[in-house]
Amino acid sequence: MHRLEKTPGEWLDRSVDLRFTFEGRQYQGYSGDTISSALAAAGLTLMARSFKYHRPRSILSFANHDSNTLFQVDGVPNVRGDVTLLRNGMRVSAINTFGGLAHDKARVLDRCARILPVGFYYKAFHSKHLFPRWERMFRALTGLGEVNLGAKRESTPKRYGFCDVLVIGGGPSGLSAALAASERGAQVALVEESIRLEGNGAPSALVRAARESGAITLYPATVAAGYYADHWVALAHESCLTKMRAKAVVFATGVIEQPAVFRNNDSPGVMLASGALRLLARYGVAPGRRVVLVAANLEAYLACLEMRKRGVPVVAIVELRAAPESDAAVAACAALGIEILCAHAPYEAIRGSSGTVAALRVAPWSDGRLDGGAVRDIECDAVLMSVGWAAAGQLCLQAGGTMRYSEELQQFVPADLPSGIYAAGRVNGVYEIESRIADGRRAGAQAAAHAGFGAAPNGPAPRRSTRCPSHRFPIIDHPRAKNFVDFDEDLQVKDLENAAQEGFDSSELLKRYSTVGMGPSQGKHSHVNALRILARVRGLSVDQLGLTTSRPMYHPVPMKLLAGRSFHPERRTPLDALHGSLGAVWMPAGNWRRPEYYAAAGESRQQSIDAEVHAVRTGVGLIDVGTLGKVEIYGPAAAEFLDRVYAGRYSDLTVGMTRYGLMLDESGVIIDDGVIARLGDERFYFTTTTGGSATVFREMLRLNALWGLDCALVNVTGHRAAFNLAGPLSREILQGLTDLDLRNEAFPYLAVRSGNVAGVAARLMRVGFVGELGYEIHVAAGGGADVWRALMKAGTPRGLRPFGVEAQRVLRLEKGHFIVGQDTDGLTDPFEANANWAVAMKKPFFVGQRSLRILQARGQRQKLVGIELDAAMPLPKECHLIIDKDAIAGRVTSIAHSRVLNKSIGLAMLAPELAQAGRRIRIRAGDGALIAARVAAVPFYDPKNLRQKPEMSQ
Amino acid sequence: MSALALTIPEPRKRLGLKGPRAAQWLAEKGITPPPLPNTWAHSEGAAAAEALLVARLGATEFFLEDGAAGTTLERISPFLDGHPPGVYPVIREDSAFVLGGERVHEVLAQVCNVNFAALSLDSRPVIMTLMIGVAVLVVPHGAEEYSDEAGRREQSGRYYRVWCDPTFGPYMGECLGAVVAECGGSYTGVRG
Repeated sequence: MHRLEKTPGEWLDRSVDLRFTFEGRQYQGYSGDTISSALAAAGLTLMARSFKYHRPRSILSFANHDSNTLFQVDGVPNVRGDVTLLRNGMRVSAINTFGGLAHDKARVLDRCARILPVGFYYKAFHSKHLFPRWERMFRALTGLGEVNLGAKRESTPKRYGFCDVLVIGGGPSGLSAALAASERGAQVALVEESIRLEGNGAPSALVRAARESGAITLYPATVAAGYYADHWVALAHESCLTKMRAKAVVFATGVIEQPAVFRNNDSPGVMLASGALRLLARYGVAPGRRVVLVAANLEAYLACLEMRKRGVPVVAIVELRAAPESDAAVAACAALGIEILCAHAPYEAIRGSSGTVAALRVAPWSDGRLDGGAVRDIECDAVLMSVGWAAAGQLCLQAGGTMRYSEELQQFVPADLPSGIYAAGRVNGVYEIESRIADGRRAGAQAAAHAGFGAAPNGPAPRRSTRCPSHRFPIIDHPRAKNFVDFDEDLQVKDLENAAQEGFDSSELLKRYSTVGMGPSQGKHSHVNALRILARVRGLSVDQLGLTTSRPMYHPVPMKLLAGRSFHPERRTPLDALHGSLGAVWMPAGNWRRPEYYAAAGESRQQSIDAEVHAVRTGVGLIDVGTLGKVEIYGPAAAEFLDRVYAGRYSDLTVGMTRYGLMLDESGVIIDDGVIARLGDERFYFTTTTGGSATVFREMLRLNALWGLDCALVNVTGHRAAFNLAGPLSREILQGLTDLDLRNEAFPYLAVRSGNVAGVAARLMRVGFVGELGYEIHVAAGGGADVWRALMKAGTPRGLRPFGVEAQRVLRLEKGHFIVGQDTDGLTDPFEANANWAVAMKKPFFVGQRSLRILQARGQRQKLVGIELDAAMPLPKECHLIIDKDAIAGRVTSIAHSRVLNKSIGLAMLAPELAQAGRRIRIRAGDGALIAARVAAVPFYDPKNLRQKPEMSQ
Repeated sequence: MSALALTIPEPRKRLGLKGPRAAQWLAEKGITPPPLPNTWAHSEGAAAAEALLVARLGATEFFLEDGAAGTTLERISPFLDGHPPGVYPVIREDSAFVLGGERVHEVLAQVCNVNFAALSLDSRPVIMTLMIGVAVLVVPHGAEEYSDEAGRREQSGRYYRVWCDPTFGPYMGECLGAVVAECGGSYTGVRG
């Protein structure tokens, strides 16, 4: 390959030199070059090694469709050389080599191909102990680029796009479809894989009209990589992924040129004729100095003439057919003195010392049989294959369409397309340029009509080609094989035949066993030929076998595009900034960030947590509980709704009082809990768990819609700040800031009151999750910071400390309070969690009641119990197993060391027969050691609950 | 067309109303709610700074926001203290943003799957959707579309008011602001 003189229409700016390195050596290209074109222009024929056998490879399709020209570029793996523009200073290297491209040590595998057929590892390595070792070895020897785990993440946008008509493909039919749709008033998006619209075979007037149309948005250098429901198409561009939603879609996706299958057809120098033409026209690169064409259609002769026009010598045309069609191009080739060998086929490509093609050995061929006795070698340095096409119809299939194999065209064509989907051009079997344009206009008008722009046209059906552009079986057997069908996976004809003979004889099974079509090309060059081989083995037609549908993305898409910007919605309470200023160490809680603890100068994490616990037990602490779900319910049926949703009874709850609420699902399993406050006869305010707020509210809305009760639910979780002032001094400190009377007579335990705190309207609930006198204060989010500051200011002289989630967990554990989702699991019912007291079984109905009756009769499967460790340390972890008689008898659900109790305590789910207080148990720690403990009564701390009701102890 | 910008507007009073008699109650207070769900209205005859925005979120649900100098909510809120039957007040402490300027639709296309560019402002639409994973309420304002010299349809001066749960406010501001900045716009920062 070499660069030719500059010609009009090429895509290069030859005034701008670009320097780059390949495999450590420096090369030069021009602005506008792709990596592959620059390497080809530099005369490189060896560009890559194959996936499995490490065979030498070079340009095949020059269409971004094959895996031959994937490179490692500046640390980025699997960069597509055919379409990636060259940059100055680029460092390019081959992928999947050991010791460099030229001296790849793994190339020895090519000589071992005979003993490494498809699926050999299934049959050869049966030992499950040794298999991982073999697996690691195979993974090392095969593969693509090397992922750099330390690479900096590139954040790329994902965007939504909208249009009336989406046209995929910027060739003649696509352009005319876009114009026809736009002329009817539709907003059109036109997607084209190439960097430019020019040079794709369309008349320049069409390109100009599309560019000038105000109703057509062009998406060049963009691949429609997948079709999803409702005309939703993923458009992958180097810098972003567009999720395009269209009212109608036109597939003008064209056809993909198929290789001839013959021995050494993967050698550098053997390439598709369409790829060679692109190299020539766009980048001024000649495929060789002595070119042989393998032909089975008219396009081969047109390519031949184009080569000759640019001064590229074509020495022979090896025509697979008995004779080419009668056409001016054929006559012109003959007139140029080019030898046309009719009814001949390539027997093998003979490789030179560098592995690149040095000659093509040909032989007479008829009825699929080669006359090996009459071979002839034609010296050449390039072999161009022009033997047929495959419809680029995978998006049609993904859209739910069907395709049939046309014997007349030797190509799949759309048979049945879903509503709003249209096909045009060569994918539709329409080849002549005028017909493609007409077919495009028809499809564009139909799509626009479907989108609501005018009536559906009554145009003629597409005029499919009367000549056959594809050979029915361009596959030549060779006793020494190496006739490759799938270049990605190094699959030879015999691999597919063997797979079929072993019983993997449907297109789906063949694909899965042999991996044909599962490489980066996704079968673009192998699918149809593999079907032809399978059809021959089974004696069926290709149509009877049918196509497999590739799942999206059909075309490889960089992971960065799929990841996008990675938005992770995070909630912050109104006090977030204040926590930060107090030294909060953050932890995630659901989608919230919460202070785990507040780091104090000179204290370790554990010391800070201990100090926070100590402050609550002996003085006062303040915790932000704004993350709790907060819901209001209004209406005449509000109490009835709560009676139905929660296991407890609320219709008899006195106004001004609160009651614990336990929420179950239909199977009687605990799914949430909270506190329900009655503000008025028809008004309640209640809390849910932090993690459950969104799902609980959604479920309540669903139930309310289902039941049709006269009440309304309002989720105010984010609109209210909430904090818990807890500790023996809490009443004293709060009283100085509120107009409410906090004395027990006026504000007893479990009461709810409305008043002002620090001048801000507040709802206060006297509850005791942490087991001390305490007040949960709820205010409008905007006033939260003022109230928090006022409480801190009033309390700090008395030793008030803010406390975080970790201290709260210890405090509630000392009280034996369970946390839904931590101490309960997806099977825990209220009886197992010792929460019978929160269940009003006599109510006429509540969610889960029926299941609870069944569970009551059946008996318990497990029991939540308190545990005390014999020794303070080592501390088992949550989820460590409890072992009894060498069997699993339960698990630890919560555990902590309690300073105030001076022992390590926890909660555990235990087999009921072991759940008696005092029973000895053993916990298996992470290192396998068995830790001694015993079942203990809860609460561990203040068993009579006097501290949260200090007036009771007086 | 103005430069792309994400701004946080001056704090305004807001209120939500729910309940079977909410629409009637508003009318009794001299506020004409929009007749259709998912549409909005401004109080009639008021100056822009005082105008009350009333968005109808459903058959029996409303979102109200006073103008920067408006006093309507201050006037009507005390009437809710008596808990009128069938009218349920909803606390609204939303975070609010204003997004507008050149390329505003490119920003929206990157954060939301609603085709805002296709909305007709004549119908005064209210959109409740997800934006970067957060439930938002969006009201478009501004000039209607026109055709530029090349015949392309453009929206001149269109801007969007966006409200979300206040606990998502910092996240929304940071993420939207980053996209706006990447598209060449500015983010005026977080309200103190």
